[in-house]
Amino acid sequence: MNYVRCGPSDHPQSGTGSDESMVQVTRLSKKFKLPHQRSLTAFDRLAAFIKRQPPLYEEFFALRDVNFHVEKGETLGIIGPNGSGKSTLLKIVAGVLAPDRGCVFVRGKVAPFLELGAGFEPELSARENIYLYGAIMGIPRKEIDRRYWDILDFAELHRFEFMKLRNFSSGMYARLAFSIAIQTNPDIFLLDEVLAVGDETFQKKCIEKIEEIRQSGKTILFVSHSLAEVKKLCRNCILLYNGQVAKIGPSDHVIETYLYDMEKMSS
Amino acid sequence: MWIIEYYDLIRILAISDLRVKYQSSVLGFLWSLLNPFLMLMVLYVVFSRLFTTSGPDFILFLFVGITSYRFFSNGTTASVSSIVAKTSLVMKVYIPREVLVFSSVLSSLISAFLEFIILFALLIVFKNPFTWNILLFPIITLIYFVIIYGVGLTLGALYVFYRDLNQIWEVVLSIGFFLSPILYPVTRIPEHMLKYYMLNPVTTIMVMYRDSLLYGTTPSAWLYGYSIFIAIVLLGIGLAVFRRLQWRFAEEI
Repeated sequence: MNYVRCGPSDHPQSGTGSDESMVQVTRLSKKFKLPHQRSLTAFDRLAAFIKRQPPLYEEFFALRDVNFHVEKGETLGIIGPNGSGKSTLLKIVAGVLAPDRGCVFVRGKVAPFLELGAGFEPELSARENIYLYGAIMGIPRKEIDRRYWDILDFAELHRFEFMKLRNFSSGMYARLAFSIAIQTNPDIFLLDEVLAVGDETFQKKCIEKIEEIRQSGKTILFVSHSLAEVKKLCRNCILLYNGQVAKIGPSDHVIETYLYDMEKMSS
Repeated sequence: MWIIEYYDLIRILAISDLRVKYQSSVLGFLWSLLNPFLMLMVLYVVFSRLFTTSGPDFILFLFVGITSYRFFSNGTTASVSSIVAKTSLVMKVYIPREVLVFSSVLSSLISAFLEFIILFALLIVFKNPFTWNILLFPIITLIYFVIIYGVGLTLGALYVFYRDLNQIWEVVLSIGFFLSPILYPVTRIPEHMLKYYMLNPVTTIMVMYRDSLLYGTTPSAWLYGYSIFIAIVLLGIGLAVFRRLQWRFAEEI
């Protein structure tokens, strides 16, 4: 399940370490085009072509020259203000977005918890959605059959097994998604703000579960705005500002820097 | 191979597609059967007057044309929006995106099978003689499936970037309805036009279906050869376009 993804002009050979990192990111850049006017139809493009007006757009670097690697069993925290590129980074590691420059190497199977419940079908019942979401997460059907009750137990949704998902509250929705997602057995977990779901008790349960996953030797990339959780779960941490790595190192130091910068900016 | 690895997901997506489609309507999945039936009745009443050909032969002739064209139009229409309709599966998780197009075409194949069951019932009711050539039915359907999947890959990928493609495709399908031998036999086409007319792969598939199901003859090797050839070409184009465009799906969607 290993894979390498590189920008169009990069080759997997350049800059690959032969070390045993589970995730390795080298000189990674991602640029988005922000069109001034969205031209999404063939008609628009034809009109622009006839008028000889190439569509105007701004380029914007969501990530610029990012380097890091994560060892087996390590939990790496990724922090930074909104729009600093944290989610873009995880999406590239997950394979949802492709890099423009640089490379991403991933060793093993990835579970992308980018947004819990992506792919749920509101018109289907909880039961059907468990199978659907399990299939999206790549869990074999037999495995879901076996863990079906565990999933409902963990989500505390026994009574709602046959209810259509569109009648669920957002908390129930997230609980169900989290419960299914933790049944995957990948080597690398990508967690993007997954703890911002459910009530306090459920959050506590989630943190315990993540701690359990961490201790079983899995590799985790953990994006969160909750610095306390990052400090608790991650030994090392990356701080991103405007798509660039501002600091990388032990969580205590990085978080300190981040808090200091925040204070400086607000004063 | 992703088809095997994601078999469960393909199956579930195809089935939930059908359930969502039919569950929310009162008549449920009966609609999928009623729709071609009503269409058959209208077309029969109008065109049996117009062409002065009537009787069970014409009914069966029409029904093969209608059901096989519906497979093409439903399959390609579903593929057009297959990527865009599943935004969250493109943006938030990684799955091979071909899965989305494939399951859309698969769910229209299942719908088409239900309609073909009616066709077989009509064949029995009208005592149309069956021959061994009926065994060609799955082979023709498989070729047809590959054609639709190839076209679907191209359309699904392009629709992410050109959002009026669904309107354009609707027009293409209405023109295609009359450019395919649904209402009239191929023999009505003037000799000098015939070689262009037969380039349409939907036409060759329809002729093959009629040969093997209605007339009990083996379709000519030429028809097979051309249909398989065009299926491979369309699949190749579809895969090439899809692979080239798919890395930008999550940005454009």
